[in-house]
Formats: sequence, C-alpha cells, structure tokens
Amino acid sequence: MSRRVRMWMVAIAGAAVAVGMGLAFVDLPSFGGSHHPYRDAAIHGSVAHQTANAVSAVNFDQRGLDTFGEESILFASIIGVSALLRPSKEEQEAGPSQPGRVMEATRILGYAFIPLVLIVGLDVISHGVITPGGGFQGGIILASGIHLLYVAGSYETLGRLRPVRLFEHGEAIGAGAFACLGIAGAATAMGFLANLIPLGSFGQLFSAGTVELLNGAVGIEVGSGVIVLIAKFLDQAILLGPQKS
Amino acid sequence: MHFNDGLAQLAPLSIAIPIVVACVMLSIGQRAPRVVVDTVAVAGATTVVGLDAALFAGSGGRVINWVANWLPGGGHPVGIVLVVDRIGAGVALLAAILMLLALIYSARYFESADAHFQCLMLLFLAGMNGFALTGDLFDMFVFFELMGAAAYALTGFKVEDRSALQGALNFGIVNSLGAYITLMGIGLMYARTSQLGLAQIGANLDHQRPNALIVVAFIFIMTGWLVKAAAVPFHFWLDDAHAAAPTPVCVLFSGVMVELGLYGVLRVYWTSFAGVIPASDMRRAFIVLGAVTALVGSVMCLAQRHLKRLLAFSTIAHMGLFMCAAGTMDASGTTGAAVYVAGHAGAKCALFLLAGMVLNRYGSVDEAALHGKARDARVPATLFAIASLALAGLPPFATGLGKAIGEDALSADGYWFGPVLFVAVSAMTGGAALRAGGRIFLGLGPRPRQTEDSAAEEETPETTQRFGRRSASLVGPIIALIAGCLALGLAPSSIHAIGGGATRLIDHAGYLAETLRHAHPTVAHDPTAIDWTTTGVVLGLVSALLAVGVAATGWYAEAVRRRLRSVLAPFQRGLSGMRALHSGHVGDYVAWLMVGVVVLGALVGLPLR
Repeated sequence: MSRRVRMWMVAIAGAAVAVGMGLAFVDLPSFGGSHHPYRDAAIHGSVAHQTANAVSAVNFDQRGLDTFGEESILFASIIGVSALLRPSKEEQEAGPSQPGRVMEATRILGYAFIPLVLIVGLDVISHGVITPGGGFQGGIILASGIHLLYVAGSYETLGRLRPVRLFEHGEAIGAGAFACLGIAGAATAMGFLANLIPLGSFGQLFSAGTVELLNGAVGIEVGSGVIVLIAKFLDQAILLGPQKS
Repeated sequence: MHFNDGLAQLAPLSIAIPIVVACVMLSIGQRAPRVVVDTVAVAGATTVVGLDAALFAGSGGRVINWVANWLPGGGHPVGIVLVVDRIGAGVALLAAILMLLALIYSARYFESADAHFQCLMLLFLAGMNGFALTGDLFDMFVFFELMGAAAYALTGFKVEDRSALQGALNFGIVNSLGAYITLMGIGLMYARTSQLGLAQIGANLDHQRPNALIVVAFIFIMTGWLVKAAAVPFHFWLDDAHAAAPTPVCVLFSGVMVELGLYGVLRVYWTSFAGVIPASDMRRAFIVLGAVTALVGSVMCLAQRHLKRLLAFSTIAHMGLFMCAAGTMDASGTTGAAVYVAGHAGAKCALFLLAGMVLNRYGSVDEAALHGKARDARVPATLFAIASLALAGLPPFATGLGKAIGEDALSADGYWFGPVLFVAVSAMTGGAALRAGGRIFLGLGPRPRQTEDSAAEEETPETTQRFGRRSASLVGPIIALIAGCLALGLAPSSIHAIGGGATRLIDHAGYLAETLRHAHPTVAHDPTAIDWTTTGVVLGLVSALLAVGVAATGWYAEAVRRRLRSVLAPFQRGLSGMRALHSGHVGDYVAWLMVGVVVLGALVGLPLR
C-alpha cells in the first residue's frame, strides 16, 4: 500500500477507535470516588501480613504470581537480547576505538557517586517491605551505579570491574530463587508462593515474611540482568564491527 | 472438585519448573557440553508433560488453586486463582508435548549459542502454560507477554539472516500493539468492576446491560488474543514470523501458540462476558471472521512456493475453521474445534519438521528450486504424503474427526455453507502441501518457471552439519506426531474427555460457582458424542480426493492454465492484489490492525444497540 492509503486507513480507523474510547470513558465511575473495594481489601491483606508497604504486599504476596511472570519476562528478554546480539559470522571484535576525552568534573563526580548510588540501590531493595521501592527499582539503581564506571572512566575500566559471566549467574540465581521460594510454598502444602516464614512485626526492617526474600531475589535478578543487558548493547556498539575481508 | 489440594498445587509447578530449568541451563550453558544442556532441557520438558498430563487426567471437574492461599473468603478477593479444566489442561499438555518433540528434534541445532535457544524455549513453554491455566485476566496478559518475549527472540534467532530480523520485528511490533490494546481493555474492566479475576468480573457483569464501556473493553481485550490467533485482518505477522523462525520454533507457533489466541478469546468470553454479551452476537462475529480468515488463508496458501510460508498460510486457514466451529457457541462445535486443533498440531508440525529436514539436506525450502531434488529420500517423502493427506482431513486421522464434528455442528445450526467451507479449505491447504511434496520428492510435473512475484527467498541454514537421512532424533518426532494424530482419530471414545472439557469451557455459571463459592460441579457429565459418522467419513474422503486433484492441477495444468488465460485473468489480478497486501511492511500491518479493531467493534457492538 502507498503511504497515503496507509495514513488514511490509520486516520479513519483511529478516529473510530477514539470515538469508542470516548463513549467508554463516559461510562467509567467518576473520578475521586470513595468506593474502592480492591484497595480496601488489598490494604487489609497487607496489614494482616505485617507488610507496611502495601504495594510490595500486592506485588510479592497477594499477586506474587504476576510478579513471577513479569520478572520472567525480563529474564526472557535479556536472554533474547543476548542471543540476538551474539556476534554473527560477519562481525568480529574490532576493539574499542580511541576513548574520548572525559571532563575532569565528570570524572570526579562520577567516581564520587558510585558508592553513593550503590548504597541507595541496596537501601531501596532492603527496605522494600516498609518504604516505597523494592527489588525492581533497587536493582535498576544498582545497575546504573555500576555503569557510572563507564561514564567516569572508560569502557576498559568497566570491562575489568564488571565480569559479565558472574552477573549472568546472578541473573539465573535471582530468577531461580524466586521460583524455588514459590515451589517451597507448594511443597509445604501452604500453596505456591505462600508466605511461609514468620511475619515479624509491622514496620520492622525484617517483617512481611517471604515478601522480604522475594524482594531480594528480584533485586539480584534485575540488577544482574540489566548489567548483562547493557553489556551486550555496549559490546555491540563499541567492540563489534563488520568483518574486514 | 480439587480445591487448593495436592493436584491443584501441580498447576503453578508446571509454570515454575520450566523457569527453574531455564535458570539452571543459563548458569551451566557456557561450560557444560552440549549433550548435557540438551538432556536437561528434554528432562525439563518431560517433567512438564507429566505435570500437565496429571492435570488433564485429574481435571474431570475443575482444579482450582487460589495462589499463595489467598482464599476469597467472604470479602473482596485479592489473590490470583488458577482454574484448570480439561481444555486448559489440554492445550497446556499439547504445548508441553510439542515442546518436548521440538527440543529432541533440535538437539543438534545452533551449535554456538550457549544454551540460549533451550532457555528461551522453556520460558516460552512456561508462558504458554501460565496463559492456559490461569483464571485471572491480568495474569493472562502477563503470561501472554512472557510467551511473546520468548517468541520474538526465537523468531529472530538466525542472526545471520536479515529477513529473520525483519520477521521478528514485524511479529514483535504487531503482537505488542495488540497486547497494549488488550491491556487498555483490562484497565477499563478493572475500573468498572474493581476486579481482575475472570470469574469475579463475570459475577460482576452478570445480568447487566451491555453499555459502551463493557463492549469497548471486551473488544480491546479480544484484540490482543485475536492478533495471536491470526484472525484476518490481524494475521499479517504470521507468515513473516514462520518464514523467519527456525523450523522447530514453527512447530510451536503453528501447533499451539496461535491456537492459544483462540483459547484466550473463548475463555474470556465464556467466563467473564457470557452473562452480558449474548452468544448469538458472538456467533455472528466468530463465523464472519472465521470464514474470511479461512478463505484468505487457503487462497494465499495455494499461491505460495516457499514451503514454510505455504504451511504458515495453511495454519491461518485452519484457524479460520477452528473459529467457525467454536463460533457455533455450543458444546459440539467447541468439541470439534478442540479435536481439530489437536489433530492439526500432529499433521502440521510433522510437515514443518519435514520442511526442516529438507532445508538441512538441500539448503532451500523453495518448491521450484527443489523440483525433483529429493527423489532419493523415500522415508521423508512417504511421511510428507501421509501428513499432507491428514491435513486435508483424511479419515481416520483426528483432523478428519475434528473437521467432521465441526461440520455437523455448523449444519445443525443452519449454516449450510459450513461443510462446503471445511471441505474446500481442507482440499486447498492439503492440496498445496501435496503439490509441494510431489514436486520436491518425486519431481512431478514440469519444473515451475521462475516468476518475478514468486522469486525465491534466501534461506539461511539452521544447522552447521548435514544430518544423516534417517537420524532418529529427526525422524522420531515426525513419526510420533503423525502417530498421535492417527491414534486420536482411531480412539474417539478415549478422547470424549475433550467433549466434557468443551462442556465445561462454555459453562459460565458452573465456572463462577465452583471458583468463587466452592460449589460442587453442577454440570452432569454429558460429553458430546465423539464418533465418526458416515457423513463425516465421506466428506473426509472427498476432501482428501479433492486435495489430490488440487495437487495434480498444480503439477500438470500449466498448459491448461495458459489456454484459459483470458478467463482466469480476473482471478489472477485478485490474487496479485491479495499478495500485494501481504507486503512485509509493518506500517501496513498496523493499519490493518486498527481497521480490524473497528470491524470487530462493529460486528459485536452495533447489533447490541
């Protein structure tokens, strides 16, 4: 189809969809109401399991199976990227080009921020049951902290201090640990992903039972996984060039 | 009934175990010898086959698992529930069996790539199992996305091949767009009902008037599932993805992933929306979409010379038939669709694996380039002929049985054109496969001329070595698939379980009562009779004969066609136009997807006003 025909099709169909959505929105419950049965039930369940951060209670306890699926999506996507970015026969390692100049200010601030960002990442993961945040968010912060090495230093520094193989194991261990915690629940007849360890008391660092552990497993998986993901893209962008014949 | 008991705990395990195995393989993949990785993968898939088989055998009623023991109690349920009935357990079992065979077949594929291929395959299996077993709308979406993430990467796995990247991108973009539209629908439904569980939504919507919000949410949710089900005009990604994907992956795409799309439509409609959108309304939409899909698929199938694309379009055509059969909205039609899906998986997957053998030996899947090249391959030739005839619905294959039950159900509902459509589509798709097989393995007819619009695509090899012609790991799975298709057709009494499953799939009230109120199963066991009828056998034989006729026309009718050129010209022009629509341009596919949403909305929504 020509571009013109295609655009007309999208425009007309899109307008019809928009009209449909408009009609649907009119029927929605009005904004700001106080009738929220799911919220009320979820918070009730969260308090019952000594989980101060209700979002974590929904993510890792009440709807833990969804989170299991979601972290598996991330896991699959990272393996997929690794597979698709593997060096093909037409590519070879060209070696990094001459490193560009890094401004002194960038260098100093970068190195200064590395420990800071790593600590924030660990903090966000470990307090996931009591304050906003958790394994997903903290894992991303950890991974970005490590990549300050690239921003402040060079590709080679990053390569020396970040063994990709190790993080591939970390990714597998994190995802596997989540699954095994779930299976442990099924094995104890409490049910898959059931909250089976002592719940502790509300608002304490170690509370909420398995939510804490699942949170940690996701932190390991996401942190390691994102490091592997970025490593594959950096390799593709910096190291690999077309084969010289 | 099994309520959070030992059997019910197997359902989440069949999702978790393939993920654990994938983690193990990723960890050992770089060091361990290839044979260890393959053994672990095959062992993982075998375990899942066992779990799904136990669920299938035990799910006479429904197996219900409120995950992590978040029981609904008296209040508002917050947890996720898995609800397994025979149809859900059946598609999960089908996925596990096909995965096992594909892993055995591909044991020596992709030498260099760590264990990534096997990891992705097992994650793909976990996604399909989760989608089939869950009773929660948002959870369906999560596992739909897991299926997608693994499937896109598997499609593009042949990184040396630029068209593989293109196929994977088209697949990824179109399916993701469909998934986002589904997610919008789920959001609308959650806003309306404060619920994500299928049964909970169903209970909330029962006896309501279908207003714009409910209809639009329903259409949006259906869109993602119908993209996966390759219903016209959402189908464009399918042949690009099949042409690009490695053949063992095509087995899973055609054999079960696409069918899961239809399963999703039926599951969500019957559980959540059957109390608010009348079945007569859905019947119209299903039969219109199904008939168009069947016709477009079979015409495009006949026009292909690229063996994998030919088989891919035949899958679209058969999806149309499944939609028509299930579209009768009664137990017998749904039973027909389920049996047909199982039989089709056997025949179609065998054909894909044979195409993979041809590609391995002769480096091409182009019917014309391969003309007479494989004269020495007697075993593959025989298997190819048998599988093609099974695809055409030859009794006593299960394809023929499913087709017969579907035809019966359609004509009982007054759709006289049902049997005609089923016979025509079977003859065209089976005939196209026979035509290709006859040319490749027997060199029948004159060598087709190279024409511009059918220029052969480059095909990258999937294997680094040439396998022996009778390598057991290649031929074994093919024979198993054909034998399975035959066994299912020969023992209709042993599969009346499927009939009982279909009865439960469409039992809206029973699902809600058992899931939410732990009521004991209400429906008495009245599985639709599954057996061969004289009409069914005769129509099966007719379609197989017609398929041979279609193939022979392909082999020998070049001269006739030339003489009739002026008569055939309008048809040729129509065909060229249809081919041009399948342009490979992802923008076109997106435009058609949007049009599809509107058409679907008009089919379902307008009559409700």
